[in-house]
Amino acid sequence: MNFQAVLELESVIKVHGSGPTAVHALGPIDLRIPAGEFVAIMGPSGSGKSTLLSLAGALDSPSGGVVRVQGTDLAVLSSRALAELRRRTIGYVFQELNLLPGLTALENIALPLELDGVPLGRAREAALASLREIALEALSDRFPDDLSGGEQQRVAIARAFVGPRSLLLADEPTGALDSVTGEHVMRLLRKQCDGGRTVVLVTHNSAHAAWADRVLFLKDGLVVGASGGEQGPSGFERSGIGRMGERGRE
Amino acid sequence: MTIRHSLLALLADQPAHGYGLKSSFERTTAGTWPLNVGQVYTTLGRLERDGLVSSEGDEHTQRQTWRLTEAGRAALHVWYDSPVEEEPPSRNELALKVLLAVAADSVDVSAILRSQRMATMDRLQRYTREKMGADPDRDLTWLLLLDSLILRAEAEIRWIDLCEERLRARGSR
Repeated sequence: MNFQAVLELESVIKVHGSGPTAVHALGPIDLRIPAGEFVAIMGPSGSGKSTLLSLAGALDSPSGGVVRVQGTDLAVLSSRALAELRRRTIGYVFQELNLLPGLTALENIALPLELDGVPLGRAREAALASLREIALEALSDRFPDDLSGGEQQRVAIARAFVGPRSLLLADEPTGALDSVTGEHVMRLLRKQCDGGRTVVLVTHNSAHAAWADRVLFLKDGLVVGASGGEQGPSGFERSGIGRMGERGRE
Repeated sequence: MTIRHSLLALLADQPAHGYGLKSSFERTTAGTWPLNVGQVYTTLGRLERDGLVSSEGDEHTQRQTWRLTEAGRAALHVWYDSPVEEEPPSRNELALKVLLAVAADSVDVSAILRSQRMATMDRLQRYTREKMGADPDRDLTWLLLLDSLILRAEAEIRWIDLCEERLRARGSR
């Protein structure tokens, strides 16, 4: 086994229900994501995107196959060990922000650490570091209602990454945001990957998916295509875009 | 792309030499539309013939300086004030290819759409990587150009998605 893979899916299948009414939601899927990679998953509604994310995040278990997070087969973990993995290793960002309205930005970010038994002072220190990373430390005392949609989403990402977590799973995190704010969120996710963390993003927005290193297309529960996996960081020179000069006219 | 109006636009603030116009055109458009200096001089000659620019030579350097005439300035304002016309739809090779494939019995339209989606996504990723490295203050024109290319690629992918949905709906009827 290669321990460099943060997330690994091997022949993973998910079927909802059983008997004649069973619905085949996903798979078989094989996927290996090394540390520091940013993977986007696209596909029409019902193609299995969110199912894949739930399985990767240990929020649901597969009907067949193996899901490994940092080399550990999730099927062998006790429910207590799974809960610990979800708290310590995996961060989640959803379209619904799920920030607690009665807590400040800082308290929201510190909360998962506190729940994990980290002493209050250290949890807040880590939360502040996380806010600093996204240049929102000035807003640490604000309540969610006093933040813009983009700021709230950035706080949610800071919370997902607080502490030693290495895998971030994001389901349509830019759904309700305008283009420029959505781009800020993508830039932030990109920065996290460049810093060595791993991101899996589910999105219907191709311009946002394009921030990823690799884009997978799902259809009817299967990966039907992938783009970008083999490429280097850039791949072309500024003057080479499009060759529009050939179409120029006086 | 119209070289005529681009040259008028570049001459609006100050007179320039032909080679300087080529350089500032390429700088402003982030090198996306390479322009050869021959095209610049041919176009300047026609603009002069039409009374939109004038030139004067320097005896020592043998170089000509070009400047905008009043008629040239008026033509430039008309250009800026008029909305750009849409490119003829026939130039859209992808749409043409898909229409022909749908009309033909023996062509796998879904395969065409799938491979095009990946190719367009690759292009979108390349533009986005350029954007990641751009400085919002120093590279504004470059960023605006990338945004335009990114949105066009995004629209192409959305169109491909829509084609697939319509084909699927037709197939299930």
